[in-house]
Amino acid sequence: MTATIQLKGVSKFFGNIIALKDISFEAHKGEVTALLGDNGAGKSTLIKCLSGVHTPDEGEILIEGKPVKFGSPRQAAAAGIGTVYQDLALQPLMSVSRNFFLGREISKGLFLDLNKMSEVTRQEMAKLGIDVADPNQPIGTLSGGQRQTLAIARAIYFGAKVLILDEPTSALGQKQQLEVLRTVNEVRNRNDIAIIFITHNDLHARLIGDRFTFLNRGRILADGTKSEIDPDNLRNLMAGGAELAELEAELKN
Amino acid sequence: MEDERLRKVGALQTFVSRPELGSVFGLAIIVITFMTLTSISGTFSAMWTNPIGIQAWVELAAFVGILGIGASLLMIAGEFDLSMGANIALAGHSFALLLLFGVPVVPAIFLTFVELAILGYIIGSIVVRTGLPSFIVTLGFWFASRGFAVFLSQTLVNQSRLSVKTQLKPPAGGGEDPTLIDNIFAFDKAFGLPFDAEVYYFVILVIITAFMLHRTRYGNWIYAAGGDAQAARAVGVPVNRVKISLFMVSTCLACLLGILTVMTSGASDPKAGDFRELHAIAAAVIGGCALMGGYGSVIGAVLGALIFAIASRGINFVPFIDNNLFRVMLGFLVLGAALLNQFLRNRVLRG
Ligand SMILES: Nc1ncnc2c1ncn2[C@@H]1O[C@H](COP(=O)(O)OP(=O)(O)OP(=O)(O)O)[C@@H](O)[C@H]1O
Ligand SMILES: [Mg+2]
Repeated sequence: MTATIQLKGVSKFFGNIIALKDISFEAHKGEVTALLGDNGAGKSTLIKCLSGVHTPDEGEILIEGKPVKFGSPRQAAAAGIGTVYQDLALQPLMSVSRNFFLGREISKGLFLDLNKMSEVTRQEMAKLGIDVADPNQPIGTLSGGQRQTLAIARAIYFGAKVLILDEPTSALGQKQQLEVLRTVNEVRNRNDIAIIFITHNDLHARLIGDRFTFLNRGRILADGTKSEIDPDNLRNLMAGGAELAELEAELKN
Repeated sequence: MEDERLRKVGALQTFVSRPELGSVFGLAIIVITFMTLTSISGTFSAMWTNPIGIQAWVELAAFVGILGIGASLLMIAGEFDLSMGANIALAGHSFALLLLFGVPVVPAIFLTFVELAILGYIIGSIVVRTGLPSFIVTLGFWFASRGFAVFLSQTLVNQSRLSVKTQLKPPAGGGEDPTLIDNIFAFDKAFGLPFDAEVYYFVILVIITAFMLHRTRYGNWIYAAGGDAQAARAVGVPVNRVKISLFMVSTCLACLLGILTVMTSGASDPKAGDFRELHAIAAAVIGGCALMGGYGSVIGAVLGALIFAIASRGINFVPFIDNNLFRVMLGFLVLGAALLNQFLRNRVLRG
């Protein structure tokens, strides 16, 4: 099966900083690919290359086997890359349905078709397991997890084939983190979307990930499917892996 | 799934979350207060039933309200225009000068609107390009617009107050009758209507802008531009274009008032519109617009303008209260309204 999205030997340099070096990586539809690594490992840089914010200096990106080049986030979005950033790009005082359609409103003649917008919002949220009783209420009334779900539902409705989530759980409380994981699971179950999930939390990664890619200082430290990587190793890698071993050795001396 | 169900929002809560709620209360309080005060001083009918008394505050409300429409749209988009009052004088003087140089009324109206629209484009472009706060940019134009208007008139015709009574009279030998145009553009009392033209423009403009704000994508973008501009850009909203267009709306509203004032008074005064920008901003604030943008309504500004006008004219009908005390009262009214609105807004954010 060809990967929904694939990177071949991608590198990205900022001046003399090597943010990414020779990254090869793939994500398949109906699967969650967890992208893991310490602070500054290059995770955000990698997804910015995927979502058209950066252009890679080396290597290529393929969508469904075809090479693509993105000049802007808009082009990436048009090619089916849906990115949900941590700040979600939502308007706190605007209603749920207006947020859902912001920038891509449905109009009937001159005027907005508010009924249609509410109806679609409610349907799309319901598909991800959240029943929005009144899509006209301000988004401020939704919980953090529900807002995350809204941003995800919006990306999917507007044609995302690849859904990229940058640390979707890091700003949330325990219960809402689980709500987001549930949402991610719903998206996976649709079987037509490849999910790239960035996290610092090894428990979440193990819970939801089908494939794992570990970055360290811009390079791939390890990767594999769920069956290839055992839980202890995963925790070890999350905690810094090789460096932890080095430190252990140093402390013994 | 039951635990994920959102709680239902009842009708009352929806009402409470409307931005103009505070000003509804404010208007009720002001009306009751002035009805009581005028009853005490025996001037109730002079203010509330006599056509001239009603005209006094309705026409002021319309004048401030037309500017208030611009002020509230800009505030919702997170911007300010302090130059509105000065632009009234600039428009009035430009229009009057064109008439004095023999340009017929209709082209003069057209050219004045073009000039002010270009000015709005320039102001808006400076704001979005430089990233300077619009407060600062339009403070510059607050000086520059009026200064330029008076400079022009003094250089060209050596006068600072421009009388155009003759230019607005019908020509003796027939031909195009400018008063007819005056009557159409400035309605006037020729149609047997009791109010000055501002009032009708005001009603029409409020209906148009309220629909635009709440029922069109452009309106949606205005809220988004002021709510979180970065987030709006991320989903493809042309934030800069929206902001520039609103500065143009603001200067064109000032233009309308400038021309109407010249037409009804037959002259352009260099002091025209002085301080009106602050009255319009007060109306917008009383009406529930948030200073940091993203929240507010045109209807709120209408109520704010009514509150301002009733308090402002009403004081003349209540001789036992000092006029200066009125300013104090108005100041606290703005503060009180801002506080109440902030409280209501936080309720919306918290849900
Ligand atoms: N625009 C940029 N200019 C220069 N250096 C950059 C830029 N963006 C990222 N970097 C550098 O590239 C490296 C990788 O950063 P990146 O943000 O991708 O890490 P990350 O894995 O997302 O970290 P975190 O877990 O903290 O989010 C860092 O050393 C960072 O300082
Ligand atoms: Mg990052």
